[in-house]
Amino acid sequence: MSETASTGGFGTPGKVWLGTLVVLVAAGVLAWAYQLSEGLIVTGMDNVFSWGLYIMLFVFFVGLSAGGLIISSVPKFFHSDRYDSIAALGVLVSFACIVVAGLLILPDLGRPTRVVGFILSPDFRSPMVWDFAIVVLYGLFTAGYFWLLTRRDLAARGSRLAFGVKDTEAGRKRDKKLSFWAAAIAIPLAVALHSITGWIFALQIGRGDWFSPLVAPMFIMKALVSGLALMLVVAILADRFTRFEFSRELVPELGKVLGIFVAVHIVYLLAAERLPHAWAENFEFWSITSGFLVGDSLSFWLWTLVGGAIPLALLVTPSLRRKVWAVFTASVFAIVGILFEGVNLIFTGYDQLNIDAAPGVTTGTDYLNYGSSVWATSGSYTPTIVELLISIGLVALGALIVTLGLRFFPVFPGEAVETHRREESAGDAAVADGGQAQTDGGQPRTDGGVDE
Amino acid sequence: MTNYGMVIDQERCIGCQACATSCMEENNVGLGQAWNRVLTEGGDNIETPAGSYPEDGSDGTGTMSMDFQPTACQHCENAPCVKVCPVNATYTRDDGIVEIDYDKCMGCRYCMAACPYNARVFNYDEPDHVPDDGTGSVAKRPQGVVEKCTFCSHRVEQDLDPACVDACPADARIFGDLDDEDSTVSKYVNKYETHRLLEDLDTEPSTYYVRGEMTPGRKRIGKELEGTERKDVALPDGGDDA
Repeated sequence: MSETASTGGFGTPGKVWLGTLVVLVAAGVLAWAYQLSEGLIVTGMDNVFSWGLYIMLFVFFVGLSAGGLIISSVPKFFHSDRYDSIAALGVLVSFACIVVAGLLILPDLGRPTRVVGFILSPDFRSPMVWDFAIVVLYGLFTAGYFWLLTRRDLAARGSRLAFGVKDTEAGRKRDKKLSFWAAAIAIPLAVALHSITGWIFALQIGRGDWFSPLVAPMFIMKALVSGLALMLVVAILADRFTRFEFSRELVPELGKVLGIFVAVHIVYLLAAERLPHAWAENFEFWSITSGFLVGDSLSFWLWTLVGGAIPLALLVTPSLRRKVWAVFTASVFAIVGILFEGVNLIFTGYDQLNIDAAPGVTTGTDYLNYGSSVWATSGSYTPTIVELLISIGLVALGALIVTLGLRFFPVFPGEAVETHRREESAGDAAVADGGQAQTDGGQPRTDGGVDE
Repeated sequence: MTNYGMVIDQERCIGCQACATSCMEENNVGLGQAWNRVLTEGGDNIETPAGSYPEDGSDGTGTMSMDFQPTACQHCENAPCVKVCPVNATYTRDDGIVEIDYDKCMGCRYCMAACPYNARVFNYDEPDHVPDDGTGSVAKRPQGVVEKCTFCSHRVEQDLDPACVDACPADARIFGDLDDEDSTVSKYVNKYETHRLLEDLDTEPSTYYVRGEMTPGRKRIGKELEGTERKDVALPDGGDDA
C-alpha cells in the first residue's frame, strides 16, 4: 500500500493472524466454488426450511454494522468530541460488517449471476429491493465517512490514500463541519437500514410471528446492542494487541450505555412482544407468567439468558462495569445473544407449516430412488460444513478488512502527534493480536469472531 | 377481463391422486417435488382418518373423519409471492394466473418465505426425470430456480383445461373464468358454500373449495376450456380432443 506500510510491518503474531484469516477466506472461496458447482443441494436447506445460516448471519451482520456508526455519529451530531477517539474505528467496523452482510446474500442465491435483476427488473414492492438499495447506500456511505474522518491524517502522513487532500487547519475545521452533516445523514440511514431489514420479515403474513409491527423497532434495538457490543470488543482487543489506544474512562461509560440497550431490548421490547400473546392465551396468573417468561427453544434461552440476563448483571454493577474484562465478557455474551435472536427468528418462521395435513410438503432434497421419503410436515434445519466454511470465510474477510484498516489508516486517537511514539511499539505490535485467539477454532478476533 | 380460477369440490374428491400425478407428468416436475398435492385431513398419515370407531352398544356416533384437501398454488389476487419477488420473476398475468419467469429468477427463495401455502418448490439439485428427457409439454426448469403450479397456462392458452382438471375421475375440479358470470366456476361459487384456504390472511386466492353440499361437478364433455370457441365446436361426448 502506501508509504505507511514501511513504518513497521506486521510482527510475527500479526502475520500468523493475517495468515489465518487469509487461509479462512481461501477456504470459504473454495467452499463457495464447490457450492456453485453442486448447487444449494449441499446446504441444509429444503422446501420447508428455505432460508438458513446465510440469512441468519445476514441479519446478524446488518445489525452489527450499526454500533460503530452510531457511536461515531451521534456524538458528532451533538457537536461533542467525547468519542472522537473511537469514531474512525467505529466506522471501519461498520463498513466491514455491512460488506460481510451484503456478500452473505450471494451464496444464498440459486443463480448468483441473475442478481443483476435487482437493477434490470426490480419490483419496488419488494422489501428485498428496498434492502438492496439501503445496504449498497449504507456501504458506500460508511466507506466515504471513514475516508472523511481519516483523510487529513492520511494527508499528514503523506499517504496516497488522501487522494490529494491537504492537511491544513482550515481543512480540518471544514471536515469537522462536514462530519456533523455526515452524522446527520448517518443516523436516519442506520434507522432505515435496520427497519427495512426487519420488514423483510415483518411484512410476511404467512410466517407466524414474523408478521409483527414490533419487528422493525426490535431490529433497531438489537442492532444497537450487538453493534455497540462489537465496537467494545474490537476496541478492547485493538487496544490490547495493536497501537490503538482505547481510553479507560470510556469503558464504564459505554458499558453503561450497552446495559441500557440490553435492558430496552431484552426486558422491555421482548416483554412488549410476548406479553399480549401470553396474556390472551392463558387464564391463570401463573400460566400467564410462565407463558410470558418461559421460551420453548434453545435459541430463545441463548438469546435471553446468555445475551440478556448475564450481560445485564455484569453491566448494572458499578464496580464490575469499571473492569475491562467484565465489559468485554458482557459484550461477547450480548453479541452471542443477538446471533441467536436471528436464529430464533428464522426458526419461528419455518418450523411450522400453516397447512400441515399429511403428507405435507415435498422437501425437494430427499429423493434418492424409488421409495424415498420426500415429505415433511414440519421444518428442520442443520447447517452443513459447506455453509459453515463459506460463512466463516466471509466473517474472516470482515476481520481482514478491520485488521488492514487498522494497519493502513490512521484510526488512532491523536494521530498526527503520535506518529513517532507509535513507531517504536509498532514493531511487532502492529497487529500482534489473535495469535492465540485464532488457534481455538480459527475464530477471527475482530468482527464477528467471538459471536459465531 | 379474464380472471381464471378453480373450484374444487371436496365432497366429490376421492383422494385418488390422479390430479397430482397428471400434474407431474404434464409439467415435467422433477422427482421428489410436487406442485399439486392431495393432503389428508384426518390422521397423522396420508389416507388415515382422525377419531375412533363407533363402539358396540353406544349411541352409534363414531368420531371417524377423513377428508381430502387437494392443494397447489392458489393463484392469489393479492399474491404475497408476487409482491416480494425482487426481480419481477414472479408476476401476475392479465388473466389472473401467477407465473414465474424462470429466466429472471435468481433463486433467492423470498417467495417461498412469503407463500403461506407452501405451494412453491426450489430446485436445490439438478431436477431428475424418468425418462431422462422428461414428460409432458413443458420444458424442464434449471437448477437453482423456484417453480410451482401455473394452472397449466400452456394448456389454457390452447383453450384446454389444466391437466389436473382433465384427469380428475370424480369431476371434482372445475376450471374457468371467475369474471364470467355464466361460467361454471362463477355459478358454483355463487350457489354453493365455498371457502378459500387461510382466508384470514387476505391473500384472496382464486381457488375455491366446496364443502357440505356436493356440486354437479365438472361437465364432462372433453378437455376443452369452457367458454372458448374450441369448446363450442367440440362434440358433446368429448370425441374431439385435438
